[in-house]
Amino acid sequence: MKVSMPEIDLDKCTGCGDCVELCLSHAVGLVEGKVTIVSPADCNYCTDCETFCPNDAIMCPLEIVLLKDEPERPLEEQKEE
Amino acid sequence: MPSCVDFLRSSPFFATLCADEIERIEKEIIELSFRKGEVLFLEGESCRGLYVVKSGQIRVFKSSPEGREQVLLIAKPGDSFNDVPVFDGGPNPASSSALEPSTVYIISKETLLSLVADCPAAQAIIKVFAKRLRHLTTVVEDLSFRRIVSRLAKLLLEMAVVEGGSSPIRRLTQEEMAAMVGSVRDVVSRALRDLERAGAIKVEKQRILVVDPQRLREML
Repeated sequence: MKVSMPEIDLDKCTGCGDCVELCLSHAVGLVEGKVTIVSPADCNYCTDCETFCPNDAIMCPLEIVLLKDEPERPLEEQKEE
Repeated sequence: MPSCVDFLRSSPFFATLCADEIERIEKEIIELSFRKGEVLFLEGESCRGLYVVKSGQIRVFKSSPEGREQVLLIAKPGDSFNDVPVFDGGPNPASSSALEPSTVYIISKETLLSLVADCPAAQAIIKVFAKRLRHLTTVVEDLSFRRIVSRLAKLLLEMAVVEGGSSPIRRLTQEEMAAMVGSVRDVVSRALRDLERAGAIKVEKQRILVVDPQRLREML
């Protein structure tokens, strides 16, 4: 699976630093006044940075994936159907 | 009391027709009367045609399985309704009943479609509009009747595709999901946790895995 990072809109980022303070993994930092993922390996993709950015500069899209095989239901549930 | 021809001419559907075309339609019109509370047609039934209110008032509404209703339109004299299935070919998207003793004209699908038969482009465009209008009635239904968890379950079922398949994987932020289900991010976040607790999905880093689509369908 391709590893994605939070997406940052540099035009919207004001460099307020809220995300840096809030990031528990210390994955986010300010570089030249703009937010950057400074430590990708530490990013847990918790999406808190997206939640708390006051300028909507950070987006953490989620892939919506369908599991190939539907799980087998316990026999009791199958009988009820 | 205006004549049938005068009445048809006052409708936007027929205002520009020539005398011959109006006469043809007038011959094919069916006039029906309904008592207060009487049902004209039900959602899901085959479309009989376009309805135009001659007198009275008709209520057009969607119903939930639990019996709740959302009124989409109160049709008054001169108003038409049930236009969508005439032009998109689907079943009635809503039900209707008389709010008071009412009389309606029914113009068949075939008669209406014959008015645009010589312009395939117009037919195609009208069909697109009709499908979009039908989709909007579904949005109204979802917003009126479904709880957030149910709306989110429906969204995930619609969006989820198998990895490595022919369709590209959809990516949405929680904010985008909230906008699509008519809610806010925090509520969507809680609803995702509810769906995960129910065993229908698994929220992993960067993705929502639909592990049990059947369970999601049960939550609709």
